Amino acid sequence: MLEDFAQTNDLGGTSPGLKLFLGLASILLCVSSPGPAAPLLVAASMSAAILALARIPPRVYARLLLVPVSFAVMSIAVVLFVTGSGAVLLEVPGLPLVVTAGGVNLAVLLLARVAGGMCSLYFIALTTPMTEVFEILRRLRVPAVFIDLAMLTYRFIFILIEEAGQIYRSQVMRLGYGRFRESVQSFGMLSGALFLRTWESGEALVLAMDARCYDGRLGIPGESRPVSIFALAAALLYIGAVLAVSLKT
Amino acid sequence: MTRLHGGLRVDIMHIMEGFLPSPWWQVWFLVSLPFIIIGLYQVNRLVQEKREALPLLAVAGAFVFVLSSLKLPSFNGSCSHPTGTGLGAILFGPCIAAVLGLIVLVFQAVFLAHGGLTTLGANVFSMGIAGPAVAYLIYKAGTRVGANTYATVFVAAALADLTTYIVTSVQLALAFPGTAGFLGAFLTFAGIFAATQVPLAIIEGAVIMLVFKYIVQLKPEILTRLNLLSESAVRKLREASA
Repeated sequence: MLEDFAQTNDLGGTSPGLKLFLGLASILLCVSSPGPAAPLLVAASMSAAILALARIPPRVYARLLLVPVSFAVMSIAVVLFVTGSGAVLLEVPGLPLVVTAGGVNLAVLLLARVAGGMCSLYFIALTTPMTEVFEILRRLRVPAVFIDLAMLTYRFIFILIEEAGQIYRSQVMRLGYGRFRESVQSFGMLSGALFLRTWESGEALVLAMDARCYDGRLGIPGESRPVSIFALAAALLYIGAVLAVSLKT
Repeated sequence: MTRLHGGLRVDIMHIMEGFLPSPWWQVWFLVSLPFIIIGLYQVNRLVQEKREALPLLAVAGAFVFVLSSLKLPSFNGSCSHPTGTGLGAILFGPCIAAVLGLIVLVFQAVFLAHGGLTTLGANVFSMGIAGPAVAYLIYKAGTRVGANTYATVFVAAALADLTTYIVTSVQLALAFPGTAGFLGAFLTFAGIFAATQVPLAIIEGAVIMLVFKYIVQLKPEILTRLNLLSESAVRKLREASA
């Protein structure tokens, strides 16, 4: 899971606010850029930051880049054939499918935006631990009940994944996923067992929290890491450069 | 654990980062916002009435996330749309399920790279609001007319899934109508997704139905306490399966 890297990467000492700001600003620049140049620049620089500054293993990052491919290929194929005007570049014989210059341009732009957006998202995901994002949300005055709910959910995800893995492995050992019918049955059993265990651990948590005088608010001391002037200047310079490229094209 | 932790799975229902252009990603944020606000208000009230509700909501959210990070049997596709939100909607109502859906989708985007942040509004609407609302309405209607509970749960979960996929197709077609117009684009997107989504919906319906069966058999007090089933209904279901 990406969160493991977020806790251990080499950019851990940088202010989480700055990293989040940089990632979000890059995403917005990608989405609003009229041409493919700026998003591609973002994709390249974010990948460079992930590999060189945060020192995420290249193999892990390469695998991550494959995640959005299936959605991208299918949806962009539709865009390629459905939309567009201008010169006809390719016609599929026997089918009403036409690729036009306009369609190709839009498809290239979308591909670039997705690449830039996903790389920026990975930058946030791989360098900024969720625990620090909660602290930022608190300072942004997001309703406390929402943050508490998100924090508890976050905590339970890791417990449950462990448990789901154990159940899954023991089912596989007993050939629970041999045939189709069995696999649906086993998966249902896994989900059901997981739900009940989840619920029980939730009730246990209520007891534990009550025993520690829970009064409807989770008080967690936040540590603030100052933003270094140098890092802030570099981030602003970078965003300005991407903005200039985006406006130029 | 590679299967649980690896992000490498086919995922076609989350609209990914960067795919929706302006103004559509903003529009879907605005559409989802009222549901989230109402949901937060309801969560707040629920927590003030019953403090134990907060951890239970949290485990429900985590359950949805973990269920979605597992691979569905015999399919390359994953059920990574938070189907469990349908279950959440039946348990807690559609607006609270929308809040859970929002949290789960943020975690999915950041932990699994499914979906994105600008497309969050659109994904919350299709998976956290439209799907769960359908599940909730079907479940309520089914229990009112006294239909078989398991059949109702199956239909509710399967249709919630199909609703999610149709809403996603609508969102994509609105953003990219092209020369074919909205309807033509919608049919193309929906047609392409149907190949994987229709069988997935049926499997997910079956899985959620089995989950419900386990709850009835092993811990029915969850359902009676949330006023989902009366005690006599639970007794009847348990006798029927015994």
